Amino acid sequence: MMIQAFHLTKIHPSGAKVLDDAYFSFPEASFNVILGENNSGKSTLLKILAGEEKPTSGVLRVGSSDPYELTSRQKSEWLKEVGMFFHDLSLFPDKTVEGNILFTLQLKGIHPEGQRESIRKLLEHAGLAGKMDAKPGDLSSGQQRMVLALRAMIFRPKLYLADEPLQGLDPEASMVLLRLLGELRKTGTTLVITSRQAFPEAEETLPVLRGMLQWHRLAEGKLGHWEGITP
Amino acid sequence: MNPWQKLVFVLKEGLGQMVRFPGLSVAVVVIVAAALVQLSLFLGLSKVLDNALLSARQKFEMAVFLTPAAGQGDIQRLQDRLSADARIASVRVVGKEEALKDFRKDPDVDRMVQALGENPLTDSLSVVLKKDVSEKIDDLASDLKKDTAVEEVDYGKGEWEAVSNLSRLVRWVGWFLGGFVFLTALFIVSNALTLALWARREEWVLLSRLGAPAWMRWAPYLWEGLLKGLLGAGAGILVLVILKNTLGWFLPKSGGMEMFLNLPGIDWSSLYVTLIVLGALLGFAGALWAVQKKWVRELH
Repeated sequence: MMIQAFHLTKIHPSGAKVLDDAYFSFPEASFNVILGENNSGKSTLLKILAGEEKPTSGVLRVGSSDPYELTSRQKSEWLKEVGMFFHDLSLFPDKTVEGNILFTLQLKGIHPEGQRESIRKLLEHAGLAGKMDAKPGDLSSGQQRMVLALRAMIFRPKLYLADEPLQGLDPEASMVLLRLLGELRKTGTTLVITSRQAFPEAEETLPVLRGMLQWHRLAEGKLGHWEGITP
Repeated sequence: MNPWQKLVFVLKEGLGQMVRFPGLSVAVVVIVAAALVQLSLFLGLSKVLDNALLSARQKFEMAVFLTPAAGQGDIQRLQDRLSADARIASVRVVGKEEALKDFRKDPDVDRMVQALGENPLTDSLSVVLKKDVSEKIDDLASDLKKDTAVEEVDYGKGEWEAVSNLSRLVRWVGWFLGGFVFLTALFIVSNALTLALWARREEWVLLSRLGAPAWMRWAPYLWEGLLKGLLGAGAGILVLVILKNTLGWFLPKSGGMEMFLNLPGIDWSSLYVTLIVLGALLGFAGALWAVQKKWVRELH
């Protein structure tokens, strides 16, 4: 799923400017990182891409649509192709790990029958063997985050948005997740993740500083310095 | 998902949610049961009063007094005409001698008749109406009065109207109170179901953010409401059955009050079916009301 943003501006109700006339473009099946410190606005940018925080002004195209122009029904359809791994998206506490993943498949319109084996393999691959029947409350926070990451990719979304996906994961789990993200990308998924550290795997990194996008990626692929910011 | 898979999803999720919040589920079931027991008491009492009044009305007999000139031919003609009338159950000719004999049972009347020296009464017809046409007694009396052989038609119009009005009043009061209890119960059930919704508001938001279509949120919830209503109806029926059997043991020892267990016109099976329907309606409508609330519609 391709993402294009032109003159995108986001001003919070408090008056804080998160984005100021930003423009960038992420091609299909690319790995993109939004880099920045805490409170730099990178999570807000991710939520804007996820259709959860309407930009104050500007043009946004995620796939072939502006997520803020969609009707509720169209938005549900659009979300079926988007995997989100955000800090405030929790697991369903009453469902097992397997139940959470199967339920997500159902929400995305995929019949879960026959998926049990592939879920088991994926969990094994992610170091969660034997946790299929565990409830989220029985998992460590790192394991919960890994399940959340898997839940967002199990249905092979066209766009995968992850907010600091490696946070809270041990080095081994981080490696596994990076490998899974790489595999996901190979299937044609566009990856956009936020981070406080650079990813050598990323094709494109957008540094965010003091609440502003420092760099703008132009539609034709050039990088340009934004004059309003002093790094 | 095909329709069958959707149905399975809704049934399973609704049931799961109900089990997940047992306290709130039990509260709703108890409220529905209490409301239905109350409603059935109203229905029962209203039915008993209605039946009692109906039975009182059926005891009214219409007396058709003939003119002194009416001959045997007139009596036969009127008797045939009334017997053929679909509204009438039976017709009996009361000859003037028979009527006089009845009158003379009262000593005062007897003295008056002796003083007169002759029978002042005329022949008459005693008419009993069929049950279901008792409301149309006025029309029948007017029809009969038009006949030249008929002098007067007496059916205790004042008492008749009083009983009819009372019967109507009882029915309306029953409906009003029943409706009031139902609406009150609906309000309480809806609020209890809203509480259940409040408890899972974060999940609703999560579902929405994960791209669940709207029906995936409200359909299991409506099914859950319906299920709670049905369980409430079951509990209410259980209470009534227990009451009926317990009172069956207790009332005969309390001065012949067991008659209340055999209240005329109460068909217990129909009452149970009515309660099941009302319970389902309470649960479903309560849930529907809850999902229509503004804050619920804005959960996403």
